[in-house]
Amino acid sequence: MTPKRISARTRNEWVTAYGFLLPNIVGLLVFVFIPIIYAFYASLHDWNALSPKVYAGWANYRELLHDDEWWASVRKTLTFSVVYVPLLFMSSLLSAVMLNAIRGRASGVVRTMFLMPFAITSVISAIIGMFMLDPRNGAVNHILELLGGSPQQFLASTSQAMFSIAGVILWINVGYNMIIFLSAMKEIPRDYYEAAEIDGATGWKSFRYITLPLLKETSTFILIVTTIGSFQALEQILVMTDGGPMNSTQVSVLYIFKQGFDMLNMGYASALAFVLFLIIFCLSLFQLKLLSSKKEGV
Amino acid sequence: MRKTWKGLGFAAISLLLVLQIACGGSGTKNSDAGASAPAESSGQASASADNGGNSGNGGKKIKLKFYDFHTEAEEKFFRGLVDEYNKIQDKVEIEYSTFNQGDYTTTKLPTAFASGEGPDIYMISPGDFMKFAKSGLMADLTPYFPEGAKEDFLPASLDAVTVDNKIMALPFELELLGLYYNEDMLKAANVQVPKTWDELYAAAKKLTTNKVAGLILPPDKGPYFNFIWYPFLWQQGGNVLSADGTKSTFNTPETAKALDFWGRFFKEGLSPKKLQAGPWEIDHLGKKEAAMQIVGTWAINRAEEVFKDVPINVAPLPIPEGGKAATDAGGWKFAVNGKSANVEEAAKFVMWAFAGDPQRALKWCTEVKFAYSPRKSVVEAGKEIYSKGMRKVFTEQIYDSAIPEPRYPSEVLDVVGDAMQYVMYGKYDGAKAAEVSDPKINDALAKANK
Amino acid sequence: MAVSKRMVLPVVGVLLGLLMLFPIYMMLISSLRSETTVFDFQLLPVEFEWSNFKTAWTESGLPRAILNSLFVSVTVTVVAMVFHAMSGYALARLNFPGKSVVFGWMLSTLMVPFSIIMLPLYLITKDLGLGNSYWGLIVPSIFNAYGIFLFRQFYRDFPKELEEAAYMEGLSLAGTFFRIAFPLSVPIIVPLTIGFFLANWNSYLWPLVITQDEKLWVVQQELAHIVGGGYFTPWNIVLAAAVIAAIPTFILFFIAQRYLVEGIKMSGIK
Repeated sequence: MTPKRISARTRNEWVTAYGFLLPNIVGLLVFVFIPIIYAFYASLHDWNALSPKVYAGWANYRELLHDDEWWASVRKTLTFSVVYVPLLFMSSLLSAVMLNAIRGRASGVVRTMFLMPFAITSVISAIIGMFMLDPRNGAVNHILELLGGSPQQFLASTSQAMFSIAGVILWINVGYNMIIFLSAMKEIPRDYYEAAEIDGATGWKSFRYITLPLLKETSTFILIVTTIGSFQALEQILVMTDGGPMNSTQVSVLYIFKQGFDMLNMGYASALAFVLFLIIFCLSLFQLKLLSSKKEGV
Repeated sequence: MRKTWKGLGFAAISLLLVLQIACGGSGTKNSDAGASAPAESSGQASASADNGGNSGNGGKKIKLKFYDFHTEAEEKFFRGLVDEYNKIQDKVEIEYSTFNQGDYTTTKLPTAFASGEGPDIYMISPGDFMKFAKSGLMADLTPYFPEGAKEDFLPASLDAVTVDNKIMALPFELELLGLYYNEDMLKAANVQVPKTWDELYAAAKKLTTNKVAGLILPPDKGPYFNFIWYPFLWQQGGNVLSADGTKSTFNTPETAKALDFWGRFFKEGLSPKKLQAGPWEIDHLGKKEAAMQIVGTWAINRAEEVFKDVPINVAPLPIPEGGKAATDAGGWKFAVNGKSANVEEAAKFVMWAFAGDPQRALKWCTEVKFAYSPRKSVVEAGKEIYSKGMRKVFTEQIYDSAIPEPRYPSEVLDVVGDAMQYVMYGKYDGAKAAEVSDPKINDALAKANK
Repeated sequence: MAVSKRMVLPVVGVLLGLLMLFPIYMMLISSLRSETTVFDFQLLPVEFEWSNFKTAWTESGLPRAILNSLFVSVTVTVVAMVFHAMSGYALARLNFPGKSVVFGWMLSTLMVPFSIIMLPLYLITKDLGLGNSYWGLIVPSIFNAYGIFLFRQFYRDFPKELEEAAYMEGLSLAGTFFRIAFPLSVPIIVPLTIGFFLANWNSYLWPLVITQDEKLWVVQQELAHIVGGGYFTPWNIVLAAAVIAAIPTFILFFIAQRYLVEGIKMSGIK
């Protein structure tokens, strides 16, 4: 290939690439990025959404440094992530592995069963969760008692509420993430495994040395998206506990939502949202770095 | 090169698609002004409502937006009211929309007002009252009261909506709290209807079994949580804020006592920490899952209609030793957007609905739901209903001790709610909770008044 | 021995699947309860108040709301699939200056909680003239970095040989994408379609803010309206309405199910 041809192709590639990206760039710019900039602008103001904004400089940011409730909510969010993300990742990966091994008609049946809860909307899932986990009447406590356990407080307990919420969110999301893993697994050519089998690698070994490395991109995706999602879980918490009991489930987004919409401190809420954004951003960057550096190692 | 253009061409087409959708959107809107007119006739814009083509009647009607949060029977009542008003005059046409209660205050109203498309007429809760009043979103209704109407209202009910001598909203209902109980359960346990705090506690203790809760109180934070608790504070002469509302008076023995009393029911398992039905629903008593419940006048209709086989009765809230009777009088208020171009027309509707003919107000308070009207003439006109069954207890024994729900900003509500939960979950005792919360209330006030 | 081993996994799978379905089952039997018994714990259906479904269907705007939601969700999903696949492909397979910046920027838009940009987004959407219209429901929902990100990860694993061959045969880059890569993306398009459809089917806050006209209400608004939040919530009706509202999604799942299998067959080309 002559250098000239390469340059023509390269230029062609650039133009196509930007052509392909253009609709999304414009859309994300108008409907996501500009609102973010607007929110940042609002964070520099005292603003209750009802009256005109009053410029306040960095006052909102200074205020949040000393806002104990805010930092408590950040800790709650991190706790939730640490519980939820690995649980979701492991359970959807394991169910995908299991489904991948099931042959024939049973595979479709089980897959549908796992996916079914995903069709339940977040608010309804929260209502079902409350219904199942009710300390006095809930199915879970009835079953616990049948099995000889003692009834639990679940959502009414400061120590169990967060786990109960994680359980409900997990329940509706496992199936979907499992499907994403499954699609990636189905892409792995079968002869890889056959070759490995000839070499005597089956079960765990073929999973460890074939499946897992080839799921790299999907795993990265699921980890990052789930982490981001875990920082934004709002609807179920809003319905199930509204942050209680005793603020034990008041995660950052909920606190932001309360500041913004219950108390109409829009400027302050925007500042909080920005700090939360920075936290998520750093965490995702860290995850990306960690996961891509591992790639060379494998 | 041609390949390049193909790539670009596709991008251009997709972009065009986006733009087309965007323009198509506004295009549709213009050509279809009739259908989308409700959105256009916003607060400021409604003056130019004469371009709303299909108002049917010469096209000169002023369009007013009315946002509400009621559902079911209450929604029907307001729809009926709007329809009737639209028929009896031809100057304005009111468009009624109603939203889920939680979203109404937290989302729908603020976003609508922020964009300058707020409703002309809306319902306001005590927690949002001051913020809206200070932002100029509540018009002074004083001049629009019909002759003699102001005097008809209970002074306290008007005081609760007055700022700087201006009546900023119209109260149209007073919802009073009482202690509802299951007569049979009390009898079976040989318990008298509790009149004092000690008796209430003892009764709850005696009535609690693993199937039945002794006393239902709201367990989750929120305006309703505080609303039910205030009477316990007031009965001893305590209060959250000073009379002028400028500083906290929370760190007192009265607060501590009220907090401890409240917390005890939860700590000892006499009141469940989580409820399936709302704490305001009488269903807990109706389904015989509870022996007593503190809830408002609104519960009467449902208790009589749905749970007529359950012997439910009501008594005044028990009071502490040496205390005096007090109960909370809640209720939303009717407000007119101060930034509306048609304040006068909107205010006329509001007055017509609840300050004019007593029959409309009476229908609301006695047929649609059960509440007290803040108007003496209405209570007078409904004398017969107000002395029927449990209503008689409210009329004769509770009504006089009513104190309108305070219009504390939501920042303050939040701190008070925290204090209550600290005690419920055993983090602090009442005294400590009151002490910790006192400076926080002052901070919250400063923040809210900024 | 071999037979029994082959049976273990399906049995475990079905048992776990039943556990997943248990809460849905509870919702179903509760939706057939009366207003006052809806919360009573019973493992078996003891009441069959089919009238709940009738009430939910006839005494609310549910039928219209379902049509609205279908229109919005299908439109958003179809347009989003094409746009996102294009972007994902460009980010995974094409080289151009500023690639990592564009990717990082797109990814970062995922990190902002929707509730906080809701108000500015509303102001902008309204200024574009899309307020209180189907377009206001549809257009802002199309753009979301989630799909772009997933397509990108998918195309990164895609065999390069196919494209190289296509390019050599004279197909343009765009042609390669639309003729070769996109049709072979079924394995990822199917789950994404499910995800996108559902996200839009479930969206509530945005429709609540952007619409005034009740004719534009979507399913979740109608559900919230039935929940109400007043003095009493008819949970049996709410649950019946929730069951009805879930039916279109269940149907989608069953259809998608077939394509999930087909997607696997197609990728057998490799």
